[in-house]
Amino acid sequence: MEVTFEGEEQDPDVRFVRGTGKYVDDIKLEGMLHLHVVRSPYARARVLSVSGGITGNELKATMESVGEDAGGKSAVSFPALSASYVNYVGQPVAAVLGLDRYDAADKAEEVDVQYEPLRPVIDPEKALASEPIHPGMENNLVAAAELGKEFEVKAPIEIEETLRMTRISPNPMETKGMVAVYDGSNLTVYASTQSPFSWREGLASSLGLKEESVRVVQMDTGGGFGSKGGIYPEYVVAAYAAMKTKRPVKWSETRYENILSTNMGRGVRGKMKVYADREGKLKGLKADILVDVGAYPLGGGGWTARWIASQLVGPYSVPRAYATAKAVLTNKVNMGPYRGAGRPEAAFFMERMMDRLADETGVDAAEVRLRNATSRRTTSPLGMEAPPSKQLFMKALRAFKYSSRKKKENVGLSFFMLIPAAYGGESAKLAVKGGRVKVWMGGSSHGQRHDVFAKSLVSEELGIPQDVIDFQHTDTRSISGGVGSWGSRTAILGGGAIVEASRSLKAAAKKKLGKKYSPARLLEGEYEAEAFFKPKDLLNTLGANMASARLTKEGNAVVDEVVSFYDAGKVLNPFMLESQITGGVAQGIGEIMYEQAIYSEDGQLLTASIADTGVIHATEMPKSVVMTAASRSTLPHGAKGVGESPTIGVPPAATRALEVLLGRRFTTLPIEPEKLWATDVAGVKEVRVR
Amino acid sequence: MPQTSHIAVEVNGVKREADVEPRLLLVHFLRENLGLTGSHIGCDTTSCGACTVLLDDKAMKSCTVLAVQADGRKVMTVEGLGGHGKLDPVQEGFVAEHGLQCGFCTPGMVISAYALLQENPDPTEDDIRTAISGNICRCTGYEKIIESVKHAAKARRRRRT
Amino acid sequence: MIPPRFEYAAPKSVREAVDLLKSRGGEAKVLAGGQSLIPLLKLRLAAPSLLVDINRVTGLDYIRESGGFLRVGALTRVSTLNRSALLKKRYGALHDASLTIADPLVRNLGTVGGNLSHGDPSNDLPAVLLAAGGELAATGPSGDRSVRAEDFFVGTFTTALAQDEILTEARFPVPPPRSGGVYLKVEQKVADFATAGVAVQVSLDKKSEYARVGIGLTGVGPTALKATKAEAAMVGKRATDRKAAQEAGELAADASSPTTDIRGTEEYKRGLIRLLVTRGLERASQRARRGA
Ligand SMILES: Cc1cc2nc3c(=O)[nH]c(=O)nc-3n(C[C@H](O)[C@H](O)[C@H](O)COP(=O)(O)OP(=O)(O)OC[C@H]3O[C@@H](n4cnc5c(N)ncnc54)[C@H](O)[C@@H]3O)c2cc1C
Ligand code: FES
Ligand code: FES
Repeated sequence: MEVTFEGEEQDPDVRFVRGTGKYVDDIKLEGMLHLHVVRSPYARARVLSVSGGITGNELKATMESVGEDAGGKSAVSFPALSASYVNYVGQPVAAVLGLDRYDAADKAEEVDVQYEPLRPVIDPEKALASEPIHPGMENNLVAAAELGKEFEVKAPIEIEETLRMTRISPNPMETKGMVAVYDGSNLTVYASTQSPFSWREGLASSLGLKEESVRVVQMDTGGGFGSKGGIYPEYVVAAYAAMKTKRPVKWSETRYENILSTNMGRGVRGKMKVYADREGKLKGLKADILVDVGAYPLGGGGWTARWIASQLVGPYSVPRAYATAKAVLTNKVNMGPYRGAGRPEAAFFMERMMDRLADETGVDAAEVRLRNATSRRTTSPLGMEAPPSKQLFMKALRAFKYSSRKKKENVGLSFFMLIPAAYGGESAKLAVKGGRVKVWMGGSSHGQRHDVFAKSLVSEELGIPQDVIDFQHTDTRSISGGVGSWGSRTAILGGGAIVEASRSLKAAAKKKLGKKYSPARLLEGEYEAEAFFKPKDLLNTLGANMASARLTKEGNAVVDEVVSFYDAGKVLNPFMLESQITGGVAQGIGEIMYEQAIYSEDGQLLTASIADTGVIHATEMPKSVVMTAASRSTLPHGAKGVGESPTIGVPPAATRALEVLLGRRFTTLPIEPEKLWATDVAGVKEVRVR
Repeated sequence: MPQTSHIAVEVNGVKREADVEPRLLLVHFLRENLGLTGSHIGCDTTSCGACTVLLDDKAMKSCTVLAVQADGRKVMTVEGLGGHGKLDPVQEGFVAEHGLQCGFCTPGMVISAYALLQENPDPTEDDIRTAISGNICRCTGYEKIIESVKHAAKARRRRRT
Repeated sequence: MIPPRFEYAAPKSVREAVDLLKSRGGEAKVLAGGQSLIPLLKLRLAAPSLLVDINRVTGLDYIRESGGFLRVGALTRVSTLNRSALLKKRYGALHDASLTIADPLVRNLGTVGGNLSHGDPSNDLPAVLLAAGGELAATGPSGDRSVRAEDFFVGTFTTALAQDEILTEARFPVPPPRSGGVYLKVEQKVADFATAGVAVQVSLDKKSEYARVGIGLTGVGPTALKATKAEAAMVGKRATDRKAAQEAGELAADASSPTTDIRGTEEYKRGLIRLLVTRGLERASQRARRGA
């Protein structure tokens, strides 16, 4: 019983416009059962009893932290199904199987769970002083770090500000899901994923299986944005159900379940203080970062606070800096990576301070930034390395036509550094047979069309036409290892691996064919090459955004245009790049104006539909202009990471544009609608706008 | 035994008959009973439009229509566009302008765009934005989708003349 | 997100539909466009034993003027309102509102009757009908009756319709010359329900003074509201009297009882009413002078 991609149309665009993509939920296998998960309606409760279906009394598995989330062993174990106590609304407590989703939904009504509700801890600021949400812990603190050195400095300008980015749901259009098939000894999982190898590792570990006996195949994947890198309790339960029943089991969640149970991004508070001279030159930076990690510190909770703090200085130079960073538990679904994962928070906090500095000193916002930009590679007092930034930012300002547009329009700027998730490297494999070349990557596309650059790199390296190259879905059986696709990494690392694999394939062919070697002869033979690429050099890259804002006829402030200027290295495909960036711009706009998770005091999620979580439509999308600075990286193919740049650069720039337009200061994202209204809250006094 | 109703629906030009429970949603009928998995499900609140199909030539969200309601009526899904290996101009537009990334919203977008161009062959950009405002795309930021629809409109006009 | 089981019937006439409703006591529900009811079923927030699908009842889909009313059949789709030249010309508030409801796909199915009989204080058409001073026609086991809009919206998700009655028609009085209406709605994103909405319908006399003023409010109370004090205060005022319009805004804001939710605070919503009523009066009277 296997799902194959044999004979499928190679061009994914064509496949998708025809409706012949193969997503997890499209799989139909003989005898397949449908899994429905029963979830906690309480943010915090003791489970007194649970009967019906598969429960935590039967399946005692706990979750491993893998993939982009990976954060090592945690003090608390996260059960696949909880039989003792629950810690967020939506936490799985039982599961039932039905012949189809209707049958499964009906059966779920027969599961009986008795709870004793407890008072939840919701506010991260209060969590430090509240009783621990997990028995046996001393408090709710799961990570604390100090970076740089405490300092005292006399400065004529000192500015303090508390800034917030509210939690948001990643909301890929395809929700999470999988199909598990067990043949008595091997488990095959068809997955909607950013990382088949992380799934393999996590499922094997949670279920006590050998990695060799678990195969994970990536299906067409309808977006991830960070949420499909690691594994979730439901995956373990579905795999277990397939092993138990020896029948294929499908789990495909609803949007409601997706919003309740998928790791959310952001949820960070930054207290910032900058010291500067009257010309706006920074003399020092202090910060305190607080991350709301939710109920279990698996989704990056252990490291995110430090990670954010480490990059606060961004592309600037500051003589002294000191930061403290804490992560606390609350009764909410776990925090996890969402496009940018820590980078947007750091940039928003720092760029807001740069704008304040401009306002306090009267120095233009671009000039203040340039004065603190660097002409040399530097390492910040918080430990982060940055490339020289001044040149690129000056270029960006010219490209933006900043000085002339600033006079007529309400514009905001941001400068930032993007640190791609290069750790771990990435793999690629090539196989030549029957006149065609198959290409696999260890971590691959869930919407980024990696096939496009993969094919063009292979074709360039081997001198063969693109139409003999077949890009393959990532399958842990076809390639020996891999990492995953997130953190602006795949084009740089996967691309690097493809170049290396192509070169070793070519070398092998040359060795065999000697003088007779030609691309055509290469295609006549049979060759295989796999490469695991680990970059040695600094891959941190820079970007800038400019946004402009205006009022609608009805007096609402909106973002009118976003211009992106990113150092993308050698651009592998300008078309795809533009689309990636504009997609990120939409998410950035969502983040400042609409997107958020709102919880009630008792921990109920009040934003539990895709409409209420704030994802934007075509009608709310501003104009997006994309420009790139082409400066090759040191990688074999010259690429640089860029996927997360817009969610880093757009929020601060667009927030500033709105601030300039309305003359109101914004410190929390998303900005409340009433603050974007060009009258006072009473609807009487019109705000004077520029 | 729950009540079932016998329905006959013309789907993409072919008459399909089945006995279904009244509560069966049209999108599930298409996907599960008929295997037409091009219509996707992206939400449960009638918000995303991934399930958009034409019902008697009008675009609507098939997750919010009962299969029994389609009895005796015509449904067209993304699989019914184009024909004999050829793409419809709307589909061509999406390929030419790369109006997609992960492809999940694409079938719904394509159907909404198709319905728009049937009614308004020469839409303005605002018309296009409004016409696809019931369809959510999380990947593209919509710009390339709008370009795709413009492309399609031109191609259709060329075909007509 | 799977509906519970129910039985289904698709009668061909209003009479048949009423009989079916009657046969089940309170257990049956009418299915019109389904754009509110089916989402509720999916959430299992409604569990009728029988759905009476009225989409196959003929003669309920029309827009026409007769007997001093614009008559809109209950099964008329919102998208039909969008495209009506008559509405655009003479029933500005209804036309405006129809374009702000949901999204084009939902509008292709959602009906006027459903929008009014759902009793949702966030639906847009009730405020329009209230502002127009309209009425509704219903058919039940004991025949037809009409209900004034003011008497129709009883509470959140409850209307004056009995469980075995079917709404057949919404009636908007044909406005005299020099009349105009607008619907102003503040929503966060397309397809969001109103944070607040205001329908204004005015008629001016020869001196450009307000002869009749109707004001309906969306989303700021347990039902759509008729701002009667604000309406009365405007009669006899000049159409250009900004101060009077602001006072009407104040009165309407006082009459509203919004609650804080994810769309905004109570204070903000009241502020919106104040502003939208003021602005609505100005725009409606502009249309009146242009004869829209
Ligand atoms: C994403 C989304 C966004 C929306 N946004 C808006 C919005 O901004 N503004 C807005 O006004 N609406 C909005 N709606 C609601 C939409 O307009 C619905 O169509 C409308 O509320 C109900 O109309 P319907 O014909 O679909 O009714 P149904 O869903 O079929 O029925 C709704 C209720 O009315 C009863 N009913 C229907 N017709 C009759 C009748 N003739 N006689 C007696 N009872 C009847 C039903 O029994 C049911 O209880 C939105 C809906 C969705 C899904
Ligand atoms: S699945 Fe139908 S609108 Fe989302
Ligand atoms: S292409 Fe991914 S949702 Fe539109």
